[in-house]
Amino acid sequence: MKNHVILRFVTKLLIPHILLYAFYVQWHGDFGPGGGFQAGVIFAAAIVLYGLIFGLQAAERAIRPGLVQSGVALGLLLYIGVGIASLLLGGEFLDYDALGHDGQHHGILLVETGVFITVASVMITVFYSFAELIRRQ
Amino acid sequence: MDAVRELLGWLWIVPGATFCVIGGIGLLRFPEFYSRMHAAGVTDTLGAALVLIGLMFQSPDWTVAVKLALILFFLYVTSPTAAHALIHAAHTTGHEPLLADDPAPAHEGDIP
Amino acid sequence: MSGEQLIDIVLLTLLASTAIAIARLRNLLATAMLTGIFSLLGACWMLFLDAPDVAFTEAAVGAGMSTILILATLCVVNAEEKPSRESPIALVAVLLTGGVLVYGTLDMPSYGDPDAPATTSPITRIYLDSANAPSEQEEGHAAGSNPGDGFVVGIPNTVTTVLASFRGYDTMGETAVIFTAGLGVLMVLAGARHRRPDPSMEIEPEPVDEGPGK
Repeated sequence: MKNHVILRFVTKLLIPHILLYAFYVQWHGDFGPGGGFQAGVIFAAAIVLYGLIFGLQAAERAIRPGLVQSGVALGLLLYIGVGIASLLLGGEFLDYDALGHDGQHHGILLVETGVFITVASVMITVFYSFAELIRRQ
Repeated sequence: MDAVRELLGWLWIVPGATFCVIGGIGLLRFPEFYSRMHAAGVTDTLGAALVLIGLMFQSPDWTVAVKLALILFFLYVTSPTAAHALIHAAHTTGHEPLLADDPAPAHEGDIP
Repeated sequence: MSGEQLIDIVLLTLLASTAIAIARLRNLLATAMLTGIFSLLGACWMLFLDAPDVAFTEAAVGAGMSTILILATLCVVNAEEKPSRESPIALVAVLLTGGVLVYGTLDMPSYGDPDAPATTSPITRIYLDSANAPSEQEEGHAAGSNPGDGFVVGIPNTVTTVLASFRGYDTMGETAVIFTAGLGVLMVLAGARHRRPDPSMEIEPEPVDEGPGK
């Protein structure tokens, strides 16, 4: 994609906005439509767009494959970690009231972050795997 | 005042929708790929932009109008880019445009 | 016919015709595009049914990521579906299953039915009231033997509350499913990623996960 000036320019213009929108959807999911799943997919879409226009190597330099592979597990670990933290603090598994004052709010925030990390990492990992497969062909 | 805003909104939405329909008709009736992409790309952007401006007039709150303005900006940037990407891809893979002095094709394949 | 019914009919007709086109077309590139269009129409349909969160997810996943991944698959396989023999037994099986499913939906309550279990159950009130701030909840809530009496969450978006707090266990399962899917893709396709043609390594088994990449 060396001589695609228009595509490269528009992509450079748009990717920060897409990433910002992903974070907006993530944190604003408490007040409007949104949440972890949508935000994760939008984040991954920005990275996929970068990979499509600027090449797989550039994308892998920006978001390392090892990082996203650990991200796949980290998100779920965060989710279950919140549950176990509630266990250790005296409540039941995933009982956010045990997380202290305003525990519901904090619990939901952490849990949605875990979902966001897992979904984004899985989408990017799948894209990387497919792209490597195509490249090796 | 609200009725004036709503009427003003409809004044923009109806031409926008008409342009989208015209684009759709062009998509079906033009003989080959490049003219079809021209019809779809141009009228799609214009129709969607007009509809969004009309909705901005009809919005109940200024925050909604700001969000619609943002959507309008992004649509205005990405829709022509998508059309450009398609036409560039077709051109680089060797798809030739139908010129004025070529004989008219009897039948375009299912993906022309 | 009201405007809403008209939109209803138009959206469902478009969905059905796109589905028929996807099933009938043999060119897989066109099918990939139509799948994206189907997901977008599905998202419009869900928005029409007042479910913006689901519509959001459907649009992002179906019309965005899924189309990319199907196109990536198409780079590796044929772009034309092999012709399949049309068998009458398959048609009978499909019609039978579809008929039984439609017969099952006749039993479901209509959209917005006041007698539906979703409207009359006490848990609906608890879920919807959880969005209120604590002080509003104490006076609006009838004192009684409700199990969730005084259950305070205070987040305006009820869908996020139900998803992350009341039904958090199910969402953990969903996240585990996504995790497993990613794991499956890595296990199947990582062989192509890390396989380096090295004659000295030909007897050793290939490790699936090799830590940080390049």
